[in-house]
Amino acid sequence: MSTAVLNNGVIHVSDQCKACDHCTSICPTGAIQGRLGEKHHIEIRKCINCGQCLINCPFGAIDDFSMVNERIRKALDNPHQFVVVQEAPAVRVALGEEFGLAPGTNVKNKMYAALRKLGFDKVYDTEFAADLTITEEGTELIHRVFNALGVPGFEHAGPLPQFTSCCPAWVKYAEDNYPQILPHISTAKSPQQMFGAVSKTYLAEKLSLDPGTIYSVSVMPCTAKKYECDRPEFIASGYKDVDAVMTTRELAQMIKTAGIDFVNLPDERADQFIGSSTGAATIFGVTGGVMEAALRTAYEVLSGEALGKVDFQAVRGLDPVREAVVEVPVKALGGKTLPVSVCIVTGTRYVAPIIEDVLADRSNYHFIEVMNCPGGCINGGGQPIRRDTY
Amino acid sequence: MSEEIKGKILKHDTQTRTMHWIHLLAFIILGLTGIGFYWDIAGIANIFGGPANASLVHRWTGVIFTLGPTLYILLNFDRFSRFVDTISTFTRNDFAWLKTMGGYVPFIKAEHTPPQEKYNAGQKILGGLIIAGCLLIIITGFPMWLWRDMLSSAFLALCYNIHFWTAMIMILLVAGHFFLAAIHPKSRVEFASMMLDGYVDAQVTAHHNAKWFTQLQKIE
Repeated sequence: MSTAVLNNGVIHVSDQCKACDHCTSICPTGAIQGRLGEKHHIEIRKCINCGQCLINCPFGAIDDFSMVNERIRKALDNPHQFVVVQEAPAVRVALGEEFGLAPGTNVKNKMYAALRKLGFDKVYDTEFAADLTITEEGTELIHRVFNALGVPGFEHAGPLPQFTSCCPAWVKYAEDNYPQILPHISTAKSPQQMFGAVSKTYLAEKLSLDPGTIYSVSVMPCTAKKYECDRPEFIASGYKDVDAVMTTRELAQMIKTAGIDFVNLPDERADQFIGSSTGAATIFGVTGGVMEAALRTAYEVLSGEALGKVDFQAVRGLDPVREAVVEVPVKALGGKTLPVSVCIVTGTRYVAPIIEDVLADRSNYHFIEVMNCPGGCINGGGQPIRRDTY
Repeated sequence: MSEEIKGKILKHDTQTRTMHWIHLLAFIILGLTGIGFYWDIAGIANIFGGPANASLVHRWTGVIFTLGPTLYILLNFDRFSRFVDTISTFTRNDFAWLKTMGGYVPFIKAEHTPPQEKYNAGQKILGGLIIAGCLLIIITGFPMWLWRDMLSSAFLALCYNIHFWTAMIMILLVAGHFFLAAIHPKSRVEFASMMLDGYVDAQVTAHHNAKWFTQLQKIE
C-alpha cells in the first residue's frame, strides 16, 4: 500500500508561489508557513488536506496529489481489474462548470456516460452509500440517546453529543488537535468508505467477482478524501476499501484529455447497486445535510411514526455555526417528547469553542455536524475553480 | 546665430528636487525588489536579507513612495495644481511638437521646434503617465499588503497583475526619461537642474521652453 499521501500529505505549494500570503488566512489549521514575500510551504503534520488553500490561491500555485495516472489509468488499462466508480452528490452539480455550463447544472446522466466512455466497468452512485451512512449514524445517535437516558441494553453506546464522521478533514482536525473528543465522533464510515467496503464484499458476491480483482475508484469534490482512502484502517474486507480517489477537476480533465464531447453526450443512468436512493443522501454534500438526513432517520425510529414534515428548515443555511432544537416524540418513553438539540458547523475554524464546551461538560447539544469547507462539500477543495468571480 | 542669452533660471526649487530624489530612490528600490519577487531572483532578495525582508523593505519603501509626493502636494498645492494644469493642457504647438517628437528622434526631421511651456509635450505626456502609474501602483499595492486576508483571490490576482504591469511600464518610462534628461546631448542639461542645484541656463530655456521663458520675462 502506498504511504505517499499519508507521509507527505495531499496538498503542496508549488514553486509558482508568489508569496502573496493569501492562503494563510484561508487555512483553518494554520498549517501554511511563510511570511509575506517568502515562498510558502505546508506543514504536513497540521494540514487536514481540505484543499481550501488550493481553490483560493490567486495564482493556482497550490496542487493536490493526483492518483489519476499512477493508479486510476493503470487500473483502467489492466484487463484483469474490474474497475468500479462512485461519484459523490456534490460532483454532479459542479462538473458541468468545467464544460461551460452554469454552476449548479445537474449533469449526472452525462457524467455516467462519460465514465463509461473512460472505461469504468460499473458506474455507481455514492448516494446509496450515503443512505447507509445516514442509517448507521442515525442509529448510533439513537443508541447514544438511549444510553444517556439509561435505557437498558445501550450501556456501551458512546457519549453525547455525537459528532458526524463523514468529513475526513474534520476527522483529522479532531485527531490532531482534540484526541479527547474522538469517543464523541460517530463510528460510521463516510459514504465513500462505505461504498468501497460494500464494493469489495456485497458487490463482489453479487457480480460473482473475486474481490481482489475489483478496483474501487471514487470521484469526490474533496481533496481530503484522497487521504481518507489511504488510511490503513480502511481494509475491513481484507482489501483496501477505496483504491483511488479523483476530484471533480480531475474527472473533468480526464474527460477533456480523452476528447469526449461532454455537453453532447447522451443521458445515461447509473448502474443499480440495490435500488433507488433517498433524497436524504442528495443533500449530504451541503452543510446541514448530514444532520438533516440523520435527523429524519432518528425521528422516524424514535417516534415510530412516518415523518410527515421532512423539511428541517432550522438546520439549513450558511451561517458558520447554526443550532436548532427538534422535538422528537420517543415511543420508548411512552410518547414523551424529547428535545434533540443539534448544531451545525461549517468550517473547522469555528469548531474549537464547541469542542471545548463538550470537553468541559458545558454543551447542551446532542448531535453536532461538522464540515470543513464553507457551505459543505459543494465548496470542497476538489471542485472546479472559478477565477472569474470577484 | 541668435543673440546669446546669459544667466540661469531656477526651474525646480529645493522641495521639488527633494521630492524628486526621494521618489527616484524609492522607485529604484521598489523596482529592484519587485523584479526580484516576480522573477524569483534570489540574488536580489539576498541583498535585502532574504525574500521576507525584501518584501518588508518593498512595502515600507512603498509607504515612502506614497507619502513623499503626498506631503509635497500638501505643502505645494498651488504649484502642483499649476503643474497638473500645464501637463493636462495641450495646445496646437504641443501637437506640432509631437509630430516631430521635438527633434529627439533621429529619423524624424524637425527643422523648427514649436515653442513649449515649462514642460514640452513629451514631458507633459510622461508626467500624466507617471501620475496615473503611481496612483495605480499605490491603489493596488496597499490592498495586496494590508487586505490580503479579506480580498477575494480573483481580486487579489487582479491587483498583482495591475501592480506588476504598471510597474513594468513605469520602469520603461523612467528609463526613457533618464535617457533624455541625462544622456541625450540635446537635453542632458536638464539633469543638473533637477538633480543638483535646480537651475537651468536661460539660453537653453529660451530655446527649449520658449513660451515659459517669455512668461518669465513678462513677470520680470
